[in-house]
Amino acid sequence: MQSQERSPTEFLNNVIGRPVLVKLNSGVDYRGILSCLDGYMNIALEQTEEWVNGQLKNKYGDAFIRGNNGIKSIL
Amino acid sequence: MTEETHTAPVEPAAVEEPLDLVRLSLDERIYVKLRGDRELRGKLHAYDGHLNMVLSEVEETITVVEINEETYEEVIRTQKKTSEMLFVRGDGVILVSPPVRTG
Repeated sequence: MQSQERSPTEFLNNVIGRPVLVKLNSGVDYRGILSCLDGYMNIALEQTEEWVNGQLKNKYGDAFIRGNNGIKSIL
Repeated sequence: MTEETHTAPVEPAAVEEPLDLVRLSLDERIYVKLRGDRELRGKLHAYDGHLNMVLSEVEETITVVEINEETYEEVIRTQKKTSEMLFVRGDGVILVSPPVRTG
């Protein structure tokens, strides 16, 4: 990872357009390309895959994830 | 008109913030995943920043997983409801997607 990142926001801006893993508190994971996010941590993903217990449950072309769902990590 | 051929994408003003994705779905049928294993499919008429939404011609799918106490088998039961017009409070929303390619 680049060393010029100084804040979480800068990190997230650098991740836009890259594949990410979004984990919700409910245990559901979303994998997709990060299109954008906002101050509430609402997230827009492309080519989204929904994974539950290691199983692929669903695919969405575009997906909006509401920021309050306890996003644990973005990898 | 002079030639101003900047390569404008087909999408108008594209997606710059996540809510743009919802804005582009206005008057389209969308898929909404809600807390409590509920899903909605309906036409989006209005929304706000809380993700409160007004949907019409809505099909709601409620999934209940029951465990048979004798066999410990999981029984997945789905229940469907339809509504002509529905107001959705935004705090229950997990995910919103245009319904294309939604299985």
